[in-house]
Amino acid sequence: MRRALLRLLLTALLGISGSGFCLAAKKKPQQVQDLHYGEVLFQFYREDYFTAITHLMAARQRQQLPHHAAEAELLLGGLQLSYGMHREAQKQFEGILDTQADRDTRNRVWYYLARIAYQRGLYEDARNAIRNIEALRDERLRAELAVMSANIRMALGENAEAAAELANTEAPEEWREYLRINRGIALLRAGDIEQGRAILDRLGAGDADSEELRALRDRANLGLGYQLLKAGKGEEARTYLERVRLKGPFMRAALLGAGWADAGRGDYRRALTPWLALLDRTSYDPPVQEAHLAVPYAFARLGDQQRAIHFYEQAISYFDNQQQEIEHAIESVQSGLMLKLLTQADTGISGGWLHANPTLEGIPAGRYLVDVLSGHDFQETLKDYRDLGYLENLLEERLASIELYHDMVDTRRLAYEKNAPRIRERLQREEAAELRRQWQACRNKLQAARNSGDPMDLATRKEQQQWHKLSGLRDRLAKLPSNARFDALKDKARWLQGILYWQIQADYRQRLWNIDKQLRAIEGAVDEARKRHARVRAALDGVRAGFDGYEARIEALRQRILALLPAIRQARGGTSSHLQRLALNELENRRQRLVSYRSQARYALARNYDLLTRQHLENQP
Amino acid sequence: MKVIFKYVRLCVLLIPALTLAEQDTAFNSLDDDVQTLKKKTLELNRDLFLLEEELLFPSNTQVSVFISMDVGKFFSLDSVKLKIDDKEVADYLYTQREIDALIRGGVQRLHVGNLRTGEHEITAFFTGKGPHGRDYKRGTTAKIRKGLGPKYVELKIVDRTGNYQPEFEVKEW
Repeated sequence: MRRALLRLLLTALLGISGSGFCLAAKKKPQQVQDLHYGEVLFQFYREDYFTAITHLMAARQRQQLPHHAAEAELLLGGLQLSYGMHREAQKQFEGILDTQADRDTRNRVWYYLARIAYQRGLYEDARNAIRNIEALRDERLRAELAVMSANIRMALGENAEAAAELANTEAPEEWREYLRINRGIALLRAGDIEQGRAILDRLGAGDADSEELRALRDRANLGLGYQLLKAGKGEEARTYLERVRLKGPFMRAALLGAGWADAGRGDYRRALTPWLALLDRTSYDPPVQEAHLAVPYAFARLGDQQRAIHFYEQAISYFDNQQQEIEHAIESVQSGLMLKLLTQADTGISGGWLHANPTLEGIPAGRYLVDVLSGHDFQETLKDYRDLGYLENLLEERLASIELYHDMVDTRRLAYEKNAPRIRERLQREEAAELRRQWQACRNKLQAARNSGDPMDLATRKEQQQWHKLSGLRDRLAKLPSNARFDALKDKARWLQGILYWQIQADYRQRLWNIDKQLRAIEGAVDEARKRHARVRAALDGVRAGFDGYEARIEALRQRILALLPAIRQARGGTSSHLQRLALNELENRRQRLVSYRSQARYALARNYDLLTRQHLENQP
Repeated sequence: MKVIFKYVRLCVLLIPALTLAEQDTAFNSLDDDVQTLKKKTLELNRDLFLLEEELLFPSNTQVSVFISMDVGKFFSLDSVKLKIDDKEVADYLYTQREIDALIRGGVQRLHVGNLRTGEHEITAFFTGKGPHGRDYKRGTTAKIRKGLGPKYVELKIVDRTGNYQPEFEVKEW
């Protein structure tokens, strides 16, 4: 049931961005706008619901799903549903209804609420939820809801109304057959065998293009055959029973029924053909068990007491063997072997489903357990058992990790205590602030140079040295007497100083621009250094509080693990006992049936011996 | 004939199961307990997950590498090997279920680790089946810049209908 729901949920979610929610099995990829939402979908699609829910809740808390907030709420409800948390899923969906969700979303929510109620057997609630779904444009969805609604009606005993509802539903081609099958069944249940038969008759004779449909048809034919058999219409019943595939799962029941159809008309010889085909000493199916009684019964009715005795003796031996095997199966369940086997099949992934059937090799009478395993109640409890096993292992691992977290925090604290004094000392030097001051001084200098307009303010150190050297030289030359040689030197010094000035002045604008550019370029880095300085200071002060915060958090989590683990173990023990009880009840029922068959066989055997003896005496001269 | 009717009753039950098995009170109570435990464990696991990430991968150094895939028509993924700064950090072999999850729009977090701020080189090698079912191996390299916050890198496997070849894109988030 959950698998079917999962399939529906998957397809419905894929259609979220569209206009309506689509339940067809599309594989259209969803465009993800938040990576963490995509990651949750990945876990969901690989059926690791526990991880998907954990990551979704974490991403929601960290506000990492800005583009998929509404879908995430719906997805969370769906995940909870898939993970067997009906109560939480219901709350989650009802929470969405309290918001201003659009009609499509509300329809989707009502749909899930209907399914939850239906799954839990709350049929009136399911019906009310379906009534809230409005203006559906999607034919497939309408068909699916009609089937669910009809099933609800049938569960409430309103079989005729269920049939009428299905008759009035328009459905796309791929849904029509399912609707007809359900309608046929509803009519049969309502006691309208003729109409039900007319519908199922048409279905049972046609070709089916999928295994699911073929199996449904087999069921329809089998159900109809037995209904007719019950009504004493053996010949007609045989027609439908013969339509059941010989390779399908209902073959044995059909063969048994076909035999009874012949026997009902007194044709015991013909009845023997299907019944003898069923006699397989290794099979444990109820129809085969019953055939072991039916074959000698037929021979007895044909007056062949010798063969009847032979087959009754064979039946008694067969029932003894079967009973012995069931005793072994009961022992294996009581000894905990069954649960051990099921635990071996753990895949280490959350979700509890057995992706592959566990091997039953080496288990005494393991084949009886296969039937027990397939029961709905057993499957649900088994899923809980496996889920709890997963949770127990997970928390045990987490408990081990918690100690590591403590160590990790301790290591960091030690590193802090070792390095913090050195860092504080460095911080006290206020290097970033000094850097900023220097930068500001340069900026002021540049501004002053710009204001003064004196090119010499931007002269390089070398140019300034040259300038001072030439000024000194000219001063010294000015003190010398005037003659041709000195005058030439004075002119040369003046000329050189003029050249130098001209060069500096020619570059003045470029220099202004370059310095301004360089100051601007480093301004960001200087500010970043100051910010980092502040951050390091704040972090240094906050780290100690952080250690204490982590310690408290880790300890609180450790206590939560320690409180949860015993409760999980206890609940797992409860599910384990329930599983054993279910298995033992089933096996005990089977054992009782065999005991009853065996006593019927012994009684019939004695009667046939008696008859044979009487015949023998009558034939004596 | 009693046997017939016994079996008729059995087979009527074989008609599609339209009613669910009734669950007894004890089972309902157990089911309630299990649901409560699941809820509490999920909340606890969320808090542990958040703590673990904070401790192991602080946001200032955290780098996560994600894998996503579009239709997957020209490339069927088998495995991915990931290197960061020439050091192998992940080598992942995919199951069919995981491939389907990627094709449906799921995004896998392949790697989460720590990197210093600055420039790093990320290299991924994809192996699988390419067009016409041939063995296919392709690498892609990109420079990424790690800033102060957590860094998310998406490796996308994209079908290119133009040349009927898969392409591997690197997207920084």
